[in-house]
Amino acid sequence: MSHQPHIASAFDRDLEAVQALIMKMGGLVEAAILDCARALETRDEELARQVVAGDKVIDALEAQVNDETARLIALRSPTATDLRTALTVMKIAGSLERMGDYAKNIAKRSTVLSQSAPIGGTAGTARRMAKLVEQMLKDALDAYIRRDVALAADVRQRDKDVDQIYNTLFRVLLTHMLEDPRAITNSMHLHFIAKNLERMGDHSTSIAEQVIYLVTGELPDEARPKGDSTAFVTSAKD
Amino acid sequence: MNDMRIVERTVDSHQTKITARGVQVYYGEKHALKDVDVDILDKTVTAFIGPSGCGKSTFLRCLNRMNDTVAIARVQGDIRLDGDDIYDKRVDPVQLRAKVGMVFQKPNPFPKSIYDNVAYGPRIHGLTANKAELDAIVETSLRKAALWNEVKDRLAESGTGLSGGQQQRLCIARAIATSPEVLLMDEPCSALDPIATAQVEELIDELRSQFSVVIVTHSMQQAARVSQRTAFFHLGNLVEYGETGQIFTNPKDPRTESYITGRIG
Repeated sequence: MSHQPHIASAFDRDLEAVQALIMKMGGLVEAAILDCARALETRDEELARQVVAGDKVIDALEAQVNDETARLIALRSPTATDLRTALTVMKIAGSLERMGDYAKNIAKRSTVLSQSAPIGGTAGTARRMAKLVEQMLKDALDAYIRRDVALAADVRQRDKDVDQIYNTLFRVLLTHMLEDPRAITNSMHLHFIAKNLERMGDHSTSIAEQVIYLVTGELPDEARPKGDSTAFVTSAKD
Repeated sequence: MNDMRIVERTVDSHQTKITARGVQVYYGEKHALKDVDVDILDKTVTAFIGPSGCGKSTFLRCLNRMNDTVAIARVQGDIRLDGDDIYDKRVDPVQLRAKVGMVFQKPNPFPKSIYDNVAYGPRIHGLTANKAELDAIVETSLRKAALWNEVKDRLAESGTGLSGGQQQRLCIARAIATSPEVLLMDEPCSALDPIATAQVEELIDELRSQFSVVIVTHSMQQAARVSQRTAFFHLGNLVEYGETGQIFTNPKDPRTESYITGRIG
């Protein structure tokens, strides 16, 4: 939290309470990312069901963050850093909620995929990607708590690694589909899983950018490295 | 930060009305204002904020030489209105105050009729040639002060019989009757209820199309609502001066941040 306490100590308690909710949400989303990827690779349907069920808690926390922040804005009229705290917690809660949805979606697809033979080592690659994303999210949230702009900038840079794995999976899955049309259904599911993980990386980046805005008052303007080139793919030979 | 501004917040004039350079004020031994440099823009509401005793009212009072009336006050530095030094020996403070009007914290109508309160300035400055002209000035001033409809049928009644909010708008009408170029307001709403405050704030926003308005306020929310530029004073120093949206979302000086967020500064 900021250097000095407010004269009205209840204001500090309100701000801390809403940030504690973000951290609670963040912890649940981190676990959901790791769990859905583990459920996919180890074909653990029970774990997948837990991830799906757990998303309700994340959604409820987002609603609570929004309510508390609306209340804080109405009652305390925050300015400067306090205002930016209020704005960033809402945006971060939105990002975390989306990430929770993606994890839930991956868990659902993993229960379908566990019914048939795996597509090469793709589930393992997806799990590796999930670990990268989870580490990005963890660091983005640590940067938030510590108001650490350098760490946030580092998270931003790391998104390209996630994008690169996504590119690789995209090509591998395309090859599987071309070689064996019976693999198309599962390959499509795996592609959506990879895409979901890639989007989670984007949301972690966006949380890191909120940290930079919170501390400096400005969003970073220099272009962030992007590694996702699949939007330009025209054929398997590409 | 520029793209964050909404239309109403935009400062549309960049013409400087008042230039202050190296302004120092001493009350006896006390150094109340230390080396203040400010450019106040025309057709803009400028808010001065800061804790009690920070020098904001002192500086406001320099702008129409109200500090001349304080025996122990000593003002140094250069203050220019449209390029002319207002502390020049040839400047008549009374004439200056017709150009730089002032509204005070407590409504202070003269114990005279509503009409005479507004007509007072134009009369002493000899601004009108006949009764019809004076009537016209009184009506326009009361209209500009958003009071005309409430008092037009009782202009002969005493100004002190109005409600607090009406009295303050009467004082604003009185201040604008001499067609000033700058309107100084020292805590104009601190004695008013929220509705009367909202009416005065709405009025300030309308007056901006004609004058440069400088307002001292303890209410930071009021500064945020009515001004386009905000200056933060602390311990006699001008700490930060900038676009109001920037001051309230992303102040550059930690002292400004501490003050506007309600932390111990």
